[in-house]
Amino acid sequence: MLHIEQLKFVYHSQSGLNTEMLFNLSAAPGEILSIIGPSGGGKSTLLNLIAGFLPAQSGIIRIDDKSVQNLGPAQRPLTMVFQQHNLFPHLDLFTNVALGINPSLKLTDDQQDEIHDALKKLSLDGLEKRKPGQLSGGQRQRVALARALVRRQKVLLLDEPFAALGPALRQELIEILKSLVEQKSMAALLVSHQPEDALLASKRTAFIHQGKVCAIDETSKLLNNTAEKAIREYLGSV
Amino acid sequence: MMRRQPVSAYWVLSIIGLAVLTPMAGLLAVGRLPGFEPGDLQFWSSSYIRRVLLFSFWQAFLSTLISLTLALLVARSIAKRGDFPLRNLLLRLFGLPLVVPSIVAVMGIISVYGSAGWFPVGRSLYGLNGILIAHVFFNLPLAVRLLLPVWQAIPEHYDQLAEQLRFTAWQRWIHIEWPTLRENIPGVALLVFMLCLTSFAVVLTLGGGPRSSTLEVAIYQSLRFDFDPTQAVVLALLQLMLCLLIAVIGLSLQKLPEVEISISVNSQAGAASNRLYHNSVILVTAAFIGMPLLAMIFDALRGPVIDVLSDNKLWLAATYTLLIGFAAAFCSVLAGWLLLRTSSVLANHGKIRQAKWLELVGSVVYVVPPLILGTGYFVLLSQHVVIADWVFPIVILINSMMGLPFVIKVLSPVMRKNQMRYDNLCNSLALHGWNKWRRVDWPLLRKPLGLAAALVSALAMGDLGVIALFGSADTTTLPLMLYQQLGAYRIPQAAVTALFLLLLCLLVFWSLERGLGGRKDVTH
Repeated sequence: MLHIEQLKFVYHSQSGLNTEMLFNLSAAPGEILSIIGPSGGGKSTLLNLIAGFLPAQSGIIRIDDKSVQNLGPAQRPLTMVFQQHNLFPHLDLFTNVALGINPSLKLTDDQQDEIHDALKKLSLDGLEKRKPGQLSGGQRQRVALARALVRRQKVLLLDEPFAALGPALRQELIEILKSLVEQKSMAALLVSHQPEDALLASKRTAFIHQGKVCAIDETSKLLNNTAEKAIREYLGSV
Repeated sequence: MMRRQPVSAYWVLSIIGLAVLTPMAGLLAVGRLPGFEPGDLQFWSSSYIRRVLLFSFWQAFLSTLISLTLALLVARSIAKRGDFPLRNLLLRLFGLPLVVPSIVAVMGIISVYGSAGWFPVGRSLYGLNGILIAHVFFNLPLAVRLLLPVWQAIPEHYDQLAEQLRFTAWQRWIHIEWPTLRENIPGVALLVFMLCLTSFAVVLTLGGGPRSSTLEVAIYQSLRFDFDPTQAVVLALLQLMLCLLIAVIGLSLQKLPEVEISISVNSQAGAASNRLYHNSVILVTAAFIGMPLLAMIFDALRGPVIDVLSDNKLWLAATYTLLIGFAAAFCSVLAGWLLLRTSSVLANHGKIRQAKWLELVGSVVYVVPPLILGTGYFVLLSQHVVIADWVFPIVILINSMMGLPFVIKVLSPVMRKNQMRYDNLCNSLALHGWNKWRRVDWPLLRKPLGLAAALVSALAMGDLGVIALFGSADTTTLPLMLYQQLGAYRIPQAAVTALFLLLLCLLVFWSLERGLGGRKDVTH
């Protein structure tokens, strides 16, 4: 479903150094592909390239066999969930989710029902009128997932969405994420700093280092891969 | 795809460029003025200009020295005193000189320190004494607000360490406070010096004659009383060179002061030592700032309130004042918002230097003061058109530019933060144009927009410099009317007009800040 081929990006640092990044990977419908690796390796850059927030120099991004690399962020059939600031602080929970369906907020009855269903699925029913400031960190990320659910896009990009949460809450949200991705047959890329998240969420995991996908393998195999020096060093430092 | 930079910012840049370069062309074409002789540009050979230049520097130097020395004591006392009752009220009082028109404050200073005032100063308030008192009145609170956050940034455990090591007050100062303050003081001093050097209303009203004239006042007198545009332009070029020099020094400083517009300041529990001393310092300063305002109110209430309020001229002047205030606020906020839309996109794409330069362009009035711009326009226009027909466009244009640095200061951090936090999110949700403006931008921006509009309107409504240059009997604003009443020794009427102007400014400030900005603060 999601296919990335020779996706090239050159990062120009302020010190004048250029770093070339080149990505190749794919994710199937219903799959959560975890992406791990050291900081500054290019994990978030990859998501920003797929989402269209950064311009790729060359390469192909294909979603459902359609090339999307020349489309603007709003035109790409995907949803991104960020580490924080996924919600507008002045809008209530319902409106924050509704914006995912229609930015003008002109909703049909069916769309309103759909939002209520999504909120119920994520145990957020009854909190519709609350502002993000009145929610816990975990609830806020659930709202972001609810919005991803109602948007019905084929690809879900998650940029360290659970980084600020405690272990129990992370586990709970990963379980929710897994069932949503499976139900909706989305292809999801989950960037995480924690190898445990990858173990919980994904059958397959990619390891990104110095702007390249160094390895893609079954998560448990990848995390036990002691032959690859970069993986060994990364796991030793986490 | 990276978002394209909004083109509108470059329109604003072009307008600012045109608004600055046009009067500059007027000044640089001095050679074409009637009666110009090449020797006129040798200002150092004129004893009058030398005297004006010397006095401008001397009063600015003394004002800076006194304001800064006192501000160090006051900021230290407020910081050391920690959280005390009425602390927020005191800090709001320190914010008042930013909103109160200079000429209104001058009225109050005359009421307190004038020969017939509560505490007469010397033989006469007019001259250097009055100028210094007024400049300290305006700049002491500003310097306190700039220095207080620096003091509060000193980690609390340094104080605990000092207690443990039994430091004396002097040792605390040398080892803890001074090293932190040292790098901030030159920037604050330069800002206060610049404000005093370009101060117009204070020197015009309290200078008391040619012996105590600064460059700005001398320019005004040359244009309006001596009808000598050549001398005005020579003085304006001199002032411009000085401001450029100061701006260059300012840019070369490592640390420039961050003018805090917001009133609230974090409270830090300080040591309770020397409580009596700190309380006394705070109380005396509060009295120094508060007394002129109180005195002005008392004088106004004892004055011919009905007579002044039933004068049609007052209401006409009030209408013009409001027109200038609202129009300048609208233009300034719009220009600032358009500039910042581009600069925040640039900043968030790592182009910090370009973003900074774009914002610096908005602060061009620090280099080319309003009266210099006004002089350029005056000289240029008076040769071709009837000045009276151009009063309002010129006054509004220059006041908008005067307000632009405040707009940028207030909006910039919020717009950058919003851009950084929500731009990608909005893009991914296809939230653009009108929908983005009403659902995201407006709710998040209305509070700072309201504050920015309120500040610019208060500044423009209280401006005496540009309107004094262009105004006439038919186009008088309240500050100009007040100045005319003071000049005609109609002090009781002036006191009422001053209070009326003050209340109008506060009403407009409040209504814009609350009406436009809304009551609720959006939590980020």
